[in-house]
Amino acid sequence: MSTSVVVCIWGAGEGGLGAEAQEALTLSRDLAAALGADIKIASLGAVSDQAACDAAAYGANAIDAVSIDATGCEADVYVAALEAYFKANPAGTIVFPQTFDSRLVSARLAARLDAGAVMNCVGFSVDGTVIDATVSAFGGDTRAVYRCASGGTYIFSINPNAVVPEPSNAGAAAPAINAVSADVGGANERIAVLERPEGAAGPRLEHAQVVVAGGRGLGEKENFQLVEDLAAALDGMAGASRPIVDDGWATPAQQVGLTGKITKPSLYIAAGISGASQHMVGCAAAKTLVAINQDPDAAIFRYAKYGIVGNCLEVLPELTAAAKKG
Amino acid sequence: MRIVVCAKEVFDPDAVNSYALEGRLAIGDDGKTFTQTSIPRLMNAYDEQAIEAVLRLRDAGQDVALTVVSVGSQNTDHLKHALSLGANEVVEIEIGDVALDYHCVARVLAAYIESSGGADLVLCGRQASDDDQGVVPALIGEHLGMPIITIARDVVPAEGKVKVIRVTPDGDEVVETALPAVVTISNELGEPRYPTMQAKMKARKQKPTVVTLGDLSLDGAALAPKVELIAQFVPEVRGACEMIDGDAAAAAAALIGKLKQDAVI
Ligand SMILES: Cc1cc2nc3c(=O)[nH]c(=O)nc-3n(C[C@H](O)[C@H](O)[C@H](O)COP(=O)(O)OP(=O)(O)OC[C@H]3O[C@@H](n4cnc5c(N)ncnc54)[C@H](O)[C@@H]3O)c2cc1C
Ligand SMILES: Nc1ncnc2c1ncn2[C@@H]1O[C@H](COP(=O)(O)O)[C@@H](O)[C@H]1O
Repeated sequence: MSTSVVVCIWGAGEGGLGAEAQEALTLSRDLAAALGADIKIASLGAVSDQAACDAAAYGANAIDAVSIDATGCEADVYVAALEAYFKANPAGTIVFPQTFDSRLVSARLAARLDAGAVMNCVGFSVDGTVIDATVSAFGGDTRAVYRCASGGTYIFSINPNAVVPEPSNAGAAAPAINAVSADVGGANERIAVLERPEGAAGPRLEHAQVVVAGGRGLGEKENFQLVEDLAAALDGMAGASRPIVDDGWATPAQQVGLTGKITKPSLYIAAGISGASQHMVGCAAAKTLVAINQDPDAAIFRYAKYGIVGNCLEVLPELTAAAKKG
Repeated sequence: MRIVVCAKEVFDPDAVNSYALEGRLAIGDDGKTFTQTSIPRLMNAYDEQAIEAVLRLRDAGQDVALTVVSVGSQNTDHLKHALSLGANEVVEIEIGDVALDYHCVARVLAAYIESSGGADLVLCGRQASDDDQGVVPALIGEHLGMPIITIARDVVPAEGKVKVIRVTPDGDEVVETALPAVVTISNELGEPRYPTMQAKMKARKQKPTVVTLGDLSLDGAALAPKVELIAQFVPEVRGACEMIDGDAAAAAAALIGKLKQDAVI
């Protein structure tokens, strides 16, 4: 087998593979099988032993670690390194786990390789060499299916939470890690970072096991405290719908949804949130979703496991009290 | 300073959302086109915010010439809206019956920008609310050899550079690059303004500059779509919500009980 589906990652130098990469590998496996290809990982920067073992468990047959000289995600250097790598090691099907940084890098790489770029992928079907990619569109309201021309180069970016990650080959021996150098042709970062974001070190909403989120139904800014209180009582984190972030009741880092955080907690409690698709994109993968809304017809109840029809300003404090009682 | 805002005409996402939730989003026999004629078309909201970003520069005393350009619109109301807001020129690039994908659209926009004298700054929306791809601005930047900065809440060009506040998952990041550059605007920029009645009336009588594909020197490869939309459907929403009754205290106690029973907390 000579063709490979190549999964691009970075930041794999420590610890195991992140959830995004595991999901991307899970989808890539079916894609590779249907194409009669194997799976290769192209990592920018080092790959830890744990990450290599994880990759093997998810069916990767080979790992290339491309050395780069960059701190943080410096997009110009990343794009140049991947361009050089793929020009030296051509691949027809390239996959990225979709993250804030990868969205930009993968789209730019597509231009460099004259490839098609397809973001927000949630599934594939293959007929011979023709790949149909199913993607989320209209903020999650629809799925669009894009047919990719046979023989072209394609970059697929996998939507977070598109699939439940599933190792196929648990315990498989990790493939050797090939050190590869990529000639970045003196690519210089054209963008200077003057101030780095502050929240990088703290706990992340994306990884929280419990999220309590509030929306416009909270009525006013002060009431967001009720959400924070319940989140604290459940050892979770507070999230928010976009309108209340826009209005300054909550911070952008707390926004859940299409253009905010994509969460996957075991428990998501939505208070005063209507359930617009763009919000649900960020929480529909919760194992248990609870909705508190005074409108019994609110869309959010369609996604919920448990629902309380009522005033969230009354229900939230009672929940906090009940949670604290233990 | 010449600023070009790329503005896409999209279906009103709120209308699409309501129809989808009501299970009434009608998709035609071709399996992909919405057939409801009642869904309004308007300017992609992030693109409107890109225009707002430019108007704020003007408010602050910067001398900007604003061109707003759109590819393949069904009607040009959104461009008239841009005129009423204060665009110096609005341009509709007509594609006729040619099937273009978003890769081609990026080629067309890059070719237009280049052939119309270039730009000091190109502003786009972070993504179009119909396809959600967020790919076009990155492609434009690459085709024009410009640096690209995504997801901005604030854009300030000065002295040949542009300083941008990006909204990252970790909080705000402040970056700077030399002009010309491509920047994509996010909703954190804030509400776009409304045009005055007078400006609206005046814009109604003005016409966009029309550019055709033939006016842009693009080769066949640039206009060959890489992807073809073959289907569109509304995904199923899982359901079966168990409603918990009682007053606030009783419902809260019952819910916490259930969550414990399920070992969720
Ligand atoms: C391109 C695009 C991207 C977007 N990205 C996002 C995103 O990332 N995240 C996001 O959240 N949104 C996003 N949106 C916005 C989204 O479409 C909705 O407008 C938004 O999610 C609605 O927020 P909400 O539920 O808080 O407010 P509303 O829709 O106004 O809902 C408020 C709800 O509260 C209920 N309510 C009112 N009072 C009470 C009370 N006292 N007690 C209990 N319930 C009460 C009401 O019945 C209603 O259901 C995006 C939109 C677009 C077009
Ligand atoms: N047909 C179009 N005409 C003008 N601008 C567009 C068009 N398509 C995309 N854009 C620009 O590119 C951004 C991202 O679009 P997309 O990559 O389709 O999500 C939009 O917010 C616009 O600024």
